[in-house]
Amino acid sequence: MNTGDGPDNAGTSDAELLRAHVDGDREAFGELVRRHRDRLWAVALRTIGDREEAADAVQDALLSAHRNAARFRGDSAVTTWLHRIVVNASLDRIRRRQAHPTVPLPDGSRSDDRPSGVEPAAPVTDHETSLLVRQALADLPADQRAAIVLVDVQGYPVAEAAEILDVAVGTIKSRCARGRARMALALGELRGRDSGHPRSGNQDAPETVPSGPGTAQPPPGRNERRDQR
Amino acid sequence: MTGAEFSGVDIDLLADYIGGALEGTPDESAVATLIAEDPDWREAYESLSGGVTLVQSELGRLEPEPMPADLAARLDGMFSAPALTLVKGDAAAPTAEPAGRRRRWVTPIAIAAGFIAFVGFGADYLAGTSNDTQSDESASSTAGGGSADQAMSAPSEVILATGTNYTRATLATEPASSLASSGKASPPAMGAAEADRSRIALEDPALTRLSAPAALQECFEAIERENAGGVIGVQTVDFARFDGVSALIVRFTAENGDWVWAVGADCGTRPAGADEFDKVPVR
Repeated sequence: MNTGDGPDNAGTSDAELLRAHVDGDREAFGELVRRHRDRLWAVALRTIGDREEAADAVQDALLSAHRNAARFRGDSAVTTWLHRIVVNASLDRIRRRQAHPTVPLPDGSRSDDRPSGVEPAAPVTDHETSLLVRQALADLPADQRAAIVLVDVQGYPVAEAAEILDVAVGTIKSRCARGRARMALALGELRGRDSGHPRSGNQDAPETVPSGPGTAQPPPGRNERRDQR
Repeated sequence: MTGAEFSGVDIDLLADYIGGALEGTPDESAVATLIAEDPDWREAYESLSGGVTLVQSELGRLEPEPMPADLAARLDGMFSAPALTLVKGDAAAPTAEPAGRRRRWVTPIAIAAGFIAFVGFGADYLAGTSNDTQSDESASSTAGGGSADQAMSAPSEVILATGTNYTRATLATEPASSLASSGKASPPAMGAAEADRSRIALEDPALTRLSAPAALQECFEAIERENAGGVIGVQTVDFARFDGVSALIVRFTAENGDWVWAVGADCGTRPAGADEFDKVPVR
């Protein structure tokens, strides 16, 4: 793995783009956003669980990054920095929702810590299982959910997830482990079913910070999420 | 998590063990001993291990979710660098530019009472541009693309970037470079070709976002909502300061009168709303 800021196919690294933005290049930040927007969106959406709020979180986060780019010290990969800002914006929105509870819908389905509903369209196959998994994920405490979204859904190495969430590696492991256990218990009916699907996620990934620039390519497939980083 | 079926078992501790969070700690061997010697722990371990593996498998199978096209387009608009230009017309995107003419943009502001009001905004930043040219463009824009309602509610607004440091006492003062009516002259502060947006960014990076037409429109919409005086007709927008802080000075008319609002750099964002610093009526 590289450092996360290596050059892309066009020969410009994320770090170079950010530097160019700070130096006044009006196109550089937009290019940086285009490279990483799908992954940033996915993290926000899975963490918040509400499309409108996720969109606002991403927009606010990127505006903040745009304004504060000069403060980026290069201690981490640019992608890590961007993800940290987006995750923080997402968690802030969840906390704000908790602090200012909304009036429950008539069916009482909305809680203030969890997404307002199961998010987006599930694959045609195993649709029911996918819905159950999404709901169980949505029911987790926000910190556990954020860790699982990064590691198990998006495929980030534990070490980078720790960096993004600004906690120790052991904390990420614990949050993921406890979250998975909660989900396993909640999804008890899934046990015993044929689990012939290839195991994915990132439980065995090396705890190194990934590298490579983001890419303007389409989002990676289920088993290659880290390949582009 | 219920875990009721695993009485006497610390599920979180067991989960940490399964997830490797206890590696290298005294608890690791302690839990291993419990699993080896306590049937309840062993049963919970076997059950939970399989469940966790299945959960990880299912989580890894969740389909990727690309960013929605509308959000991607919004971000493109915010972070791309087209020159801020005369805005007026009938679409939310730049229109083809007739030879020898400046581009026009359309900025729908509000849908109210069954009609659509359009508020154009613009900056004729071409140094030495003739007044007649802009007037012609305004006329052709109205005639060519807009409905009658659009024409009625589509005054030409002027965008300035004076950098003036306003206070509450001076807020209602007409900007020195403001135009008596739009389309009659070029704003002196916007003299360099295709430089207005970058100039705003250079002079006050905090206001860069608002130099994008889409963001400015959202700001107008936020002001309109918070003003609660019906559809607003924006007359001038000045990229300036208020009490030393980066601010947009927006002069507009509405059913509740003529106003000047000083709004902050976050105007139009969801958390901030209009991000209002101050407002005064114009008498």
